[in-house]
Amino acid sequence: MRIWGMVLGGYPRSREARHLLRDVERGLVPPTEASIRLQRVHSEIMGVQKAAGLPVIVDGMVDWHDIFRPFARSWRNVSVNGLLRYFDNNFFYRIPVFVGEPDTIEPVLAPRVRDFIELAHPSALKVVVPGPVTFARLSKNSSGLSREELAVKIASILRQEVSKAVEAGAGFVQVDEPFLADIDATRDDAVLAVELFNKIIKGYEEKASMAVYFNAPSTDVYEAILNVDSKYLSVDVYDTRTRALDLLSVKGFGGHVPVLGVIDGRRIHDDDVDRIIDDVRRLVDESTEELVLTTTTWMDLIPFRYSLRKTILLSRLVEKFAEETDSEAYTIWR
Amino acid sequence: MSYRVPEKFPTTVVGSYPKLPPAKEALRRRKKGEISEEEFESLVREAIKGVVQDQLEAGVDIISDGEQSREDMVVYFSEIMEGYRPGEWVKIFDNVYFRKPIIEGPVKWPGPMTLRDWRIATEYSEGRPVKGILTGPYTMLEWSFDLYYKDRYEAIMELAKVLRKEIEALVNAGAKYIQVDEPALSTRPFPEEAEMLGEALKLMLNGIEAKKIVHICFGRVEKLLPYILDYPVDQFDLEFKNSDFRLLPYLKEYGYNKELGYGVIDVHSHQVETVEEILEAIDKLMRLGILPPEKIYIDPDCGLKRLPREIARAKLKNMVEAAKIAREKW
Ligand SMILES: [Zn+2]
Repeated sequence: MRIWGMVLGGYPRSREARHLLRDVERGLVPPTEASIRLQRVHSEIMGVQKAAGLPVIVDGMVDWHDIFRPFARSWRNVSVNGLLRYFDNNFFYRIPVFVGEPDTIEPVLAPRVRDFIELAHPSALKVVVPGPVTFARLSKNSSGLSREELAVKIASILRQEVSKAVEAGAGFVQVDEPFLADIDATRDDAVLAVELFNKIIKGYEEKASMAVYFNAPSTDVYEAILNVDSKYLSVDVYDTRTRALDLLSVKGFGGHVPVLGVIDGRRIHDDDVDRIIDDVRRLVDESTEELVLTTTTWMDLIPFRYSLRKTILLSRLVEKFAEETDSEAYTIWR
Repeated sequence: MSYRVPEKFPTTVVGSYPKLPPAKEALRRRKKGEISEEEFESLVREAIKGVVQDQLEAGVDIISDGEQSREDMVVYFSEIMEGYRPGEWVKIFDNVYFRKPIIEGPVKWPGPMTLRDWRIATEYSEGRPVKGILTGPYTMLEWSFDLYYKDRYEAIMELAKVLRKEIEALVNAGAKYIQVDEPALSTRPFPEEAEMLGEALKLMLNGIEAKKIVHICFGRVEKLLPYILDYPVDQFDLEFKNSDFRLLPYLKEYGYNKELGYGVIDVHSHQVETVEEILEAIDKLMRLGILPPEKIYIDPDCGLKRLPREIARAKLKNMVEAAKIAREKW
């Protein structure tokens, strides 16, 4: 078995990053200086992941206020307004408001990839986008389109985002659909999410995954999710551990490489590596050729220093798991 | 001085009230470490007096101290309770951060945490009952980090034991209404979560001689409802207005028969609800035919702290007016 680790999504802001963004907002830092200093913040975060031996890394998305914001801000006919609780977090996102059919003004991801690709080397740089179903569901839709039509439109923009990002060198594409783990998600939501996901990652199936987190999806929804065309499928195992383990041991991964969220990205205690290994061993067997271990969620809602610690714990987990199962730990992508 | 709470449609509040200037000053100076405990108390006293006067003028039957000392419902208790340490910075929205408290040892009751303010409010309440209000164990845990307890169940039960002592202190001092706030529960409306809080509430409330209330708001309470109906409480206090009374049919569906704190005032809107509008809300509930007026407490959806004082006051006034008319009608 090949085994490797990656962090699911964004990192929290260090004190310096918080102050920098505050000063930028107040117009106290000129844009060029701001971007140089932000680059430094991101490169530190990438450095930690590389040092931890993660073959696929994120830039940290430290400048994103929430997962929707950079897209909402650079698309036509979308603005942001008001705050809403983001799933079960004590964190609030600005509600994207669609007032017409959305369209891109300029890509969000490709320029980032160009900025960070060299710093990421030799690890591959992952890009993460909010899934169209989650995006449409958590937005205010005054576009005149139905919610489904809006999701379709969002997906077509995300497709352009993703292909430009891959052209620019992104080595891995992740589409986040946390809404599919929500208790209000239906099988129809999942069917639509999968259909749109497959379009977004078409041609990049080998280096793509859908990520579902904050809860374990219902059996119905999960069965539909198993139809994703991507090689990888990412599930939050440790938010609701018992339910997730039950679900995954019964339903398996439908031939996908499991990307298991086992390092708790929302809590700050040291994860119990031995318990995780026991749990994961129940979910894989000799036929499993590849396994990815990840954080349950993004880590942007814990204090910065704990996110660094969790990155190291993830790396230790991968090593230990490889040792105990006589597997090969990958630190270089491909 | 004793006050008779009306039998039908008593009016009440959920708890928080806009911070009056002396409370703002007290909190600001305490943050800078520039205030003695005596000065802090005297400023808070002045603020609570104003809050109580506003509620009396509006005619609210069961009032609160307006939570003038509490900047945040979790941080407040974490700063007093043993076992917690001040948190580290965590994002709450945009680039706005708050210090999320951390449990780093066994939580212990440090002596009364809310009693002083409750007593102050009682001094000025002219006999009207003042609710004792605390943040529940589930919300305390969910909105903190835990580095000490091995699992969430254990942590919640230990928090519940601490809060029980606080409840006992309030009841011994004469509190007739105890309200436990659990806004975090509706963010995770799963049976196993509801069950865990149910166990904690038993620890907190069994044998307590007072009206026992749980307040939950802004989430998918309809998903939660079937799992919480057997909680050892007399009353659920719930938000209705902001979600356009979406919850009403579920009350009927699940055979709801406890007392109901019926949220008829939107605390997120500056628009003052008219008396007619509130009456219509009361009628809507009454027409369902599930609860008699004696089991219905009229109140806002949630705490009023984010509203300007004038608006909060106007909303309460109309609410009380509507309840009076409803008493004649039903
Ligand atoms: Zn509330």
